[in-house]
Amino acid sequence: MSGRRHLDDLDGQIRDHLDRETEDNVARGMTPQEARAAARRKFGNVARMKEDARAVWVPVWLDQLRQDARYGVRLLRRQPGFYCVATLTMALGIGATTLLFSLAYGVLLKPLGWHEADRLVRVTETRQGHTGRVAGTISNGTFLAWRDHPSTIEDLGGWQTEAATLTGAGDPVRMTIVPATPGLFAILRVRPLIGRLFNEGEGANGGPGLVILSYGLWQERFGGRPEILGQFLQLDDQPYTIVGVMPREFAFPDREARAWTAWNVPGVIAEGGMHIGVIFRTIARLRPGATPAQAAAEATSRARGAPDLGLAARALFGAAGPIDVSAVPELQAMTADVKPAILVLFAAVALLLITATANVAGLQLARATARRHEMAVRAAIGAGQRRVIRQLLTENVIVGLSGGAAGVALAAGLLRLLPSLLPAGVPRLDAVTLDMAVLGFGLALSVTAGIACGLLPAWHIRRVNVVETLSEDGIAPIGGALRSSVARTRAAIMAGQVAIACMLLVGATLLTRSFVSLVRADRGYDPVNVLTARLPLPSDYPAERRHQLLETVLERMRGVPGVSHAAYGTALPFVSFGGFTAFNMRSPRNPDVELNVQAAQRVVSPDYFAAMRLRLVAGRTLLEADTTTTPPVVVVNRTFARQYLGDRPIGFRIPQRGPRAGGIRFPDGQADWEVVGVVEDMRQEVDSPLQPEIFASVRQITAETTNVGFDPILVIRTATDPTAYAATLRRLVREQAPTLALDSVMTMEDRVMASLAEPRLYAVVLVWFGVFALLIAGVGLFGVLSFSVAQRTREIGIRAALGAQGRDIVALVLRQTLWIVGIGVLFGVAAAVAGVRLLSAFLYGISPHDPLTFVAVPILVVVVAALACLVPARRAAILNPLTALRA
Amino acid sequence: MPNRDARARVDLLQGTLDLLILQTLRAGPAHGHTIAKAIEVRSDDVLQVEQGSLYPALHRLIKRGWISFDDGTSENNRRAKYYRLTRKGRRQLEAETSKWKTLAGAIARVLRPA
Repeated sequence: MSGRRHLDDLDGQIRDHLDRETEDNVARGMTPQEARAAARRKFGNVARMKEDARAVWVPVWLDQLRQDARYGVRLLRRQPGFYCVATLTMALGIGATTLLFSLAYGVLLKPLGWHEADRLVRVTETRQGHTGRVAGTISNGTFLAWRDHPSTIEDLGGWQTEAATLTGAGDPVRMTIVPATPGLFAILRVRPLIGRLFNEGEGANGGPGLVILSYGLWQERFGGRPEILGQFLQLDDQPYTIVGVMPREFAFPDREARAWTAWNVPGVIAEGGMHIGVIFRTIARLRPGATPAQAAAEATSRARGAPDLGLAARALFGAAGPIDVSAVPELQAMTADVKPAILVLFAAVALLLITATANVAGLQLARATARRHEMAVRAAIGAGQRRVIRQLLTENVIVGLSGGAAGVALAAGLLRLLPSLLPAGVPRLDAVTLDMAVLGFGLALSVTAGIACGLLPAWHIRRVNVVETLSEDGIAPIGGALRSSVARTRAAIMAGQVAIACMLLVGATLLTRSFVSLVRADRGYDPVNVLTARLPLPSDYPAERRHQLLETVLERMRGVPGVSHAAYGTALPFVSFGGFTAFNMRSPRNPDVELNVQAAQRVVSPDYFAAMRLRLVAGRTLLEADTTTTPPVVVVNRTFARQYLGDRPIGFRIPQRGPRAGGIRFPDGQADWEVVGVVEDMRQEVDSPLQPEIFASVRQITAETTNVGFDPILVIRTATDPTAYAATLRRLVREQAPTLALDSVMTMEDRVMASLAEPRLYAVVLVWFGVFALLIAGVGLFGVLSFSVAQRTREIGIRAALGAQGRDIVALVLRQTLWIVGIGVLFGVAAAVAGVRLLSAFLYGISPHDPLTFVAVPILVVVVAALACLVPARRAAILNPLTALRA
Repeated sequence: MPNRDARARVDLLQGTLDLLILQTLRAGPAHGHTIAKAIEVRSDDVLQVEQGSLYPALHRLIKRGWISFDDGTSENNRRAKYYRLTRKGRRQLEAETSKWKTLAGAIARVLRPA
């Protein structure tokens, strides 16, 4: 490389050379001036020589790129308006696309943080196609059967997610804890920061409680002191020994987990021959070389050969059929729910980027037309066509890069807001960062968008005729805007933009209408003006005290003006399913048929039905008069009645003798339950399958006969805005039980809306995209038309001079543009019809080919387009013929 | 863009010029102006090259490693660069010279009147 240094002194060498030559010439008898001139003549073109010498060391293209960039920057600085608009448009498009890419990449593609995470599989059990009551889980029977000597996997790890109250370390706090089997940590290949992990066998029922803290909890509640190892903490008033602390980056199953307790999967048969069924989430680590399919096959055969869970399985799965176990790579399992939504958003944002880029390309094309003269001059003084094209591309890449830089900055800003923007439950948001891959994507996008913008004008200057252009006197020829190739290209861009706006708006309208029908959907109850809250109770809280506390609080609540009903129960949509039960009974329709009944069982106070306005279909609801001294009665939902009871459900007696799993028992364990009423199905998700339900009264169960320890859910119906009563409810609870606090105080309407956060987000995002695309198309149309009117000034002047009315001229201008719009709408609608299939999974209560949407959107687009055209058209109409002809 | 013929001519010229420079430097180190003069004289002004084109050629030869240079001071106390042939350059010159000779001989035979 030392040779390159040689370049630095080039000027000196030339000077030296010329001096010597001059001296020689003087020696030959020339005058100094002559000598100097002769020397220069003989030397030739100094600049050219320097350039050639430079080219030996620096590749020509690099040098030219530098030149082009300098020129481009200078040019853009002279037109700050254009530069700002172009950069801003690009920034929005690139920013939005980069943001979505970082989301898609971080959530869907980035490998999980665990060692050899591709060997981790999520294990899920189904029975006759029914998943567990908690989806994505397996039962203890399957877990234990497979864990003994598996051949396709190293080991299985199971965990549950619970809420628990931590006491004895600052203020009591409710937090998420994760009971995990000791094997889980080995599967993940993690080590504790300090202390140890759980050993095999620890966490067995009746053994001492052990807990591992998350780094966050350790820092916040224990001051990050290592001495806490071996000390106790209280979770729901149970003592746990702290055995370890995990490193900061350990987050399993997600960031919510604050502590892990030792847990052992219970055996299927308990003492006394009772079946015990538990469902929980499980992952496994494949042995090297084993495939998920092999693991699933092995698990399925082991599970089918294991002791059956019997009725417990039916309570947990709603079916007792043959077991199927699936094993899916963990990353895929985690992201399966959000993948389609992310892909749809990505497709939408890509369309937005295309339309934004097209707008800049359109602007560039207009500039290229204006710059024909410049290009012709450059061609005339020897710039090759490629050189000119390269210069144009460089200029556009500069716009793309500055737009990209602004866009990436925008994405970085939005990235921080992402967790609050996205609905709860999007996994792996930690992995969404602005890393090298995302930056690289942004850079590639910027360059590509820039080149795409530059290609169109470059393609057009390809045919600049130097002589013709330079001999033009700067007056545009009379002719229709569509007659030049540039104008045709602009028209195509416009039509494309209108089409994209149409597609996005169709998507936006469909999603919005679907969201509205979700909100309005009949859920069987009336969520308006209902305040709900949960009252977490210590697990050993005596049932009588619970009963007394709730009765007092609710009685006083009923006394508050504006409160019409106050009730409580074990279940409420979006809060808790309550319990599940399974038993056999003879079919009311045919006594020879034995029915396998599995149902959700909810224990409620009699006022519950009125408080929820749960519609009564037949019979009566539970009453205050139903007590422990009257025969046990139940109310069932419509699905239970249809599935098990037939046409005349009222009065049917559900037998209590015989084996049963789960659920509550009445004081007289032998008495039949009499069905006294049928209520409407109470839906949580409007599209989730209906399940049979049984409602029993809290008045008919007592502490001795039921082992149901539950966190009661309070339901208060009010006359006006229910949030106003939250403070009263909290106060009443505090007065009665100072150590207890309400949890999850929310109106029922908010619960419904929170459950719809996802569809709402998609609708909102698509509406924004659609409006933005429409705006871009409108601005583009306005630009095209203004340009064409300006070009046709003379023609319009002549027409006006010959007697054309303003109306005729408006029509003349509009006709041509609306034609472009019409084609755009046509293509847009056609593409939307083809594309809505992508959306159909997100739509509720509306057809993907909803006629209203497909009529309204084109009308909207045409109206906006017409508005965008009106201004330039009117400007043409009021053109003074005299001025126009002199122009 | 120069067309193909033009580029071929330039290549030919460059090759010739390179050879001439190497040949000149065989006698010993020299600076740019001296080389230009020597080429003029040696080629009997048949090969008229702009003196300026010598410098890109020198750069090219430095990059190929056929010549190297020293910073020196010339007779009348001016700073100047002295170029000299490297071993690699010498080998190149020999190879090129024999190639030229073969070619020239062949052409001479072809053009000899029958």
